[in-house]
Amino acid sequence: MAEGGDVEWELSKENIQPLRRGRDISALHQALSLQQDGFSSTINQQRQAFESELRMYDGDDPLDVWDRYIKWTEQTIPQGGKESNLSTLLEQVVTRFTDEKKYHNDPRYVDLCIKFAENCPEPLDIYRYMQAQGIGVTQASLYIAWSEEYENQGNCRKADLVYQEGFKKCAEPHDKLLQFHKALQARVSRQVMMDVEEDDSDDEPKQKERISLADLRHRGKKKAIAPIIRTGPAIRSISGGLQPRSAPVLGNATNSRLVVFDENKAESAGPSEPIFESWSAPPTARAKENERRPEKWCDVKMPQKSKFGHTVMAPPPVKPTFQPFVEESDQPPTMTPCKINPAVNTVLSTRKLCREETPLKRLQEHNQQQKEAESGKLQEQSMYCKELLLSGATEFCFEELRAERFFKRMAQESQEVRGHEGQASTSDAN
Amino acid sequence: MTSTLKGITIKGSAELVAEFFSFGINSILYQRGIYPPETFTRVTNYGMSLQLTTDTKLKTYLTDVVAQLKDWLFECTVQKLVLVITCLETNEVLERWQFDIECDKSAKETSAPREKSIKAIQDEIRSVIRQITATVTFLPLLETPCAFDLLVYTDKDLAVPDKWEESGPQIIAQSEEVRLRSFTTSIHKVNSMVAYKKTDSA
Repeated sequence: MAEGGDVEWELSKENIQPLRRGRDISALHQALSLQQDGFSSTINQQRQAFESELRMYDGDDPLDVWDRYIKWTEQTIPQGGKESNLSTLLEQVVTRFTDEKKYHNDPRYVDLCIKFAENCPEPLDIYRYMQAQGIGVTQASLYIAWSEEYENQGNCRKADLVYQEGFKKCAEPHDKLLQFHKALQARVSRQVMMDVEEDDSDDEPKQKERISLADLRHRGKKKAIAPIIRTGPAIRSISGGLQPRSAPVLGNATNSRLVVFDENKAESAGPSEPIFESWSAPPTARAKENERRPEKWCDVKMPQKSKFGHTVMAPPPVKPTFQPFVEESDQPPTMTPCKINPAVNTVLSTRKLCREETPLKRLQEHNQQQKEAESGKLQEQSMYCKELLLSGATEFCFEELRAERFFKRMAQESQEVRGHEGQASTSDAN
Repeated sequence: MTSTLKGITIKGSAELVAEFFSFGINSILYQRGIYPPETFTRVTNYGMSLQLTTDTKLKTYLTDVVAQLKDWLFECTVQKLVLVITCLETNEVLERWQFDIECDKSAKETSAPREKSIKAIQDEIRSVIRQITATVTFLPLLETPCAFDLLVYTDKDLAVPDKWEESGPQIIAQSEEVRLRSFTTSIHKVNSMVAYKKTDSA
């Protein structure tokens, strides 16, 4: 039965994230077989090689290393997730080159930015940021990704507006933009038609079906939680070629009489250019209602009412007068278990990110700092090569950098020596 | 279908294989989004639920092709069936699903049924279709509207029937090929494979 070649990919198909561009099957097989032996050292070695290349590169196209590194990560760690470091890498690369004018309309950089946006909780903000910074404004792929995001959120009007903006900016390749715009129009008109049909055949309730390969609309603003009911309004879009988004809308005959107020639609009926405000300063932290800062609860005391009606504080807990019994054998472990995988070789643990901090915010902070540094306002100045230590997904230490330089020099010298020897031998022959 | 459950004749085998192609092609068209999903209806076969198209034009086309294919299978003159997915705008071939068919021509002479139960064959067919479904894990997203085409490779001496025309192989220039499972009815053996455009990362 298993003569159909390697079937390993089928056994772990649930753990492979589909990529837009597809996967290299040999890389996939390799990655899967490597993973069967545990998170092997080969992957770590390759990653380390990329990391050091990032730092040691001194050509005139530093983006190239990043691009290769990220593509390697996607192909080699098919399950994605935290282990792949993909989101960290994307954030790093976007932040790093956000001021490099020469990359602003480089398709590779724009693609990386779009990938970064898709990884973020609010991609639209990133696209707006890109537009404000002039990143990818002449690339069709920006407008396509942007419009698709609007479409996924069910805002077809704005999705269309984004394409108009793309045409205004003469984004390249023009054909591709035109083609995707046409496809959008086809989907929208189809959806309208389906809605009309649906109104006619309202009587028979259609059976809701779970649709395969459908993107689900996630619940919760920050953490994406997949909904339990996966039919009807929970479906965000169906990925794939011709499929329109209209099918799930059909599903709920009982709800169709209810007119749901859509603030996006109402908004878009107003001034037609609301998308393109500029983003020069970072947005202020949003005022959130009904949200309390996390605090320690065990110390909080409820004010208690006495018989007489005024509040008294509860008396502080009295220290117990007895010695609590502790079993002799129950000694606390003298050493904390070593969690550091020696093969991974991270010098310091990564800083836990604050929940409030979105990737976009960090990006803007970086921008702000850059500007301050230019105007000479920056108080903080590191007197060591901080950039080099922190630039990848993992942190390097000085020794590693030194070693890297040392090995490079050694390799160079040995090559020179060999070259000399070669010359010597040829001269001998003469 | 043959009345006996134990053995299989060439007629039954041709029928089984043709049926597989009918379901297989429908599955691919559904999974790859060549036709909108709401034009498909769910049926249960091989102990799994499958999607069949309800588009009348497509249905007649597929019935015609499968009927013709069944004849060829019965005569053991067919070598390959290829489903090609092309971009509607540029006509570029994006995906190529190839089913190589090996016929045991000796079965034509002897009418004695072969020893293989239908259940065993259907189990094999099921795993092939399952695998077709699972290919979304590595296939690239079809971003543009696509069309499909069916190519059948037959023996050279065969007359081309009406409605059929000669065509090129429509091979993808730089392709990645993945072999899928195969199944056999002991008379016809079907090897499946999918080829797609290579990713640019390498």
